[in-house]
Amino acid sequence: MRCGRWPRVRVVKSVQTKVCVDGSLMKEYVLDEPLTPSFLAFLKAFGTVKEYPHMKRPYFSFEQEHFISVKGFAGDSSVEVRYRKEYFDLTADYFHLLLFYFREGEQGIMKMHGIEESIRERMKIRLPGGSGTE
Amino acid sequence: MAGHTQAGNPPLIYLNNAATSWPKPPEVLEEVRRCLETPFFEHGRSTAGGATDYPPATRDALAGLLHAEEPYHFIFTGSATDSLNLLIHGFTKKEKNPFHAITTELEYNSVLRPLHTLAGEGHLSLSIVPFHDGYVTLQEIKKAIRPETRLVVMTQGSNVLGSLQNIRPVAEYCRANDIFLIVDGAQTAGQIPINLSELPAGAFVFTGHKALFGLPGIGGFYLNDPDEVMPVRQGGTGTDSHTLTHPQDMPQKFEAGTPNYPGMASLLAGIRHIERQGQDAITNKCRGLASLFIKEITRNPAITIYTPAPDLPVVSFDIRDLDNDEAGYILAKAYNIVTRTGLHCAPLVHDRIDAGKGCVRVSFSHLTTPEECRSAADAVREVAEGACR
Repeated sequence: MRCGRWPRVRVVKSVQTKVCVDGSLMKEYVLDEPLTPSFLAFLKAFGTVKEYPHMKRPYFSFEQEHFISVKGFAGDSSVEVRYRKEYFDLTADYFHLLLFYFREGEQGIMKMHGIEESIRERMKIRLPGGSGTE
Repeated sequence: MAGHTQAGNPPLIYLNNAATSWPKPPEVLEEVRRCLETPFFEHGRSTAGGATDYPPATRDALAGLLHAEEPYHFIFTGSATDSLNLLIHGFTKKEKNPFHAITTELEYNSVLRPLHTLAGEGHLSLSIVPFHDGYVTLQEIKKAIRPETRLVVMTQGSNVLGSLQNIRPVAEYCRANDIFLIVDGAQTAGQIPINLSELPAGAFVFTGHKALFGLPGIGGFYLNDPDEVMPVRQGGTGTDSHTLTHPQDMPQKFEAGTPNYPGMASLLAGIRHIERQGQDAITNKCRGLASLFIKEITRNPAITIYTPAPDLPVVSFDIRDLDNDEAGYILAKAYNIVTRTGLHCAPLVHDRIDAGKGCVRVSFSHLTTPEECRSAADAVREVAEGACR
């Protein structure tokens, strides 16, 4: 991952729909910039990125267990983000934070890892045998 | 049907007709417009001259299409789900004592969830019989029968596997053994020829917005013997208004409140459209479309087809190395093809065929063109090849 600053990508529109299968929450975001290969490289620091460059449009998915999953096309400015319902209050801003800290390169990765750890701690509290309830 | 083209997008190909049919025939749109242009004809009230009295006209049309003897035994509801809830809860209310009910693994959640709810509340015990190669046999149902069995609820056509169940022997067995049979015809009414006068089922459920080409929000059921089910809702009927006791005449016994006139208008026009086209012709054309699609994708080893020879125009499949959700997303966004992914609200079918992960389903109407079918098959093959490279 290259160090340095990248232009900030912003969400300009979001539409929420509920997913039938598992009740997870899905939001489709329209961004003001297309997603670049460098953003996908940034995502790899936090979860699994699958890329299918040989599709009609180069499809990718990102999965960060318990946090979010993202589907979209490289070079496209809209993505679909899913949130686990039980942790939505903790992860609702997570994709926005990824977009925000992406521009900070390696520094951004470190900051996001800190945020991720903090959210994981709060997730643990809710698990059976966790140290308390919220 | 040539799809609508938005700037830069390929033409829309709509393959989600098992959920809601689209496009609607032009005469359906015209009838709804006509319905809304004049005051509704309300029975027993002053009304604008010339307006159609949609409830009886639509009951008569349903009786004609489905070969039912008593038009007034057709009850209108908001959907097949509404109908199934009304029938299952209404039958349970009439029974008073706990009883045993049977349903199948093929069912939709609008059957499974009401039964599961009533079982949880202690009103009934429930057996769920398995399917084999997409079909539930009378033998399997007989195995589940107990002395206290009073209710069987089963679909006539699977919304995932496209398998058409041989309902008549089940209906005859149930009739002979004083068991109330509710047939879920959500996937079959308007899709295949149905003759209710030769089907001794207790009740037959339909919805308007699928193969009958009506609007969402109109559905109903045909009830052979009105005494088998108690109404679960009461209200204004426009008749016997002086009494606080809800009328027991059909169809008022099960209908209360203002009818869905535009929905009935759409259903009436949809039925007329089917009659003009010919039910057999529609059935055959749709089967041909499903066969064509299957033929086009069947030799690709990256595609698993769960419905190699469906009776209904439903094809369910998965693409190797892609979640069904991802495949649906790519087909929608890159090819403008509307499919339905996931569990299709039939979780027990998916437990059997794909370990509960869900799959991609395409479903056709007779207004789908062979060209759309081929284009969609090309797209599915292309996605499968892209996923596996």
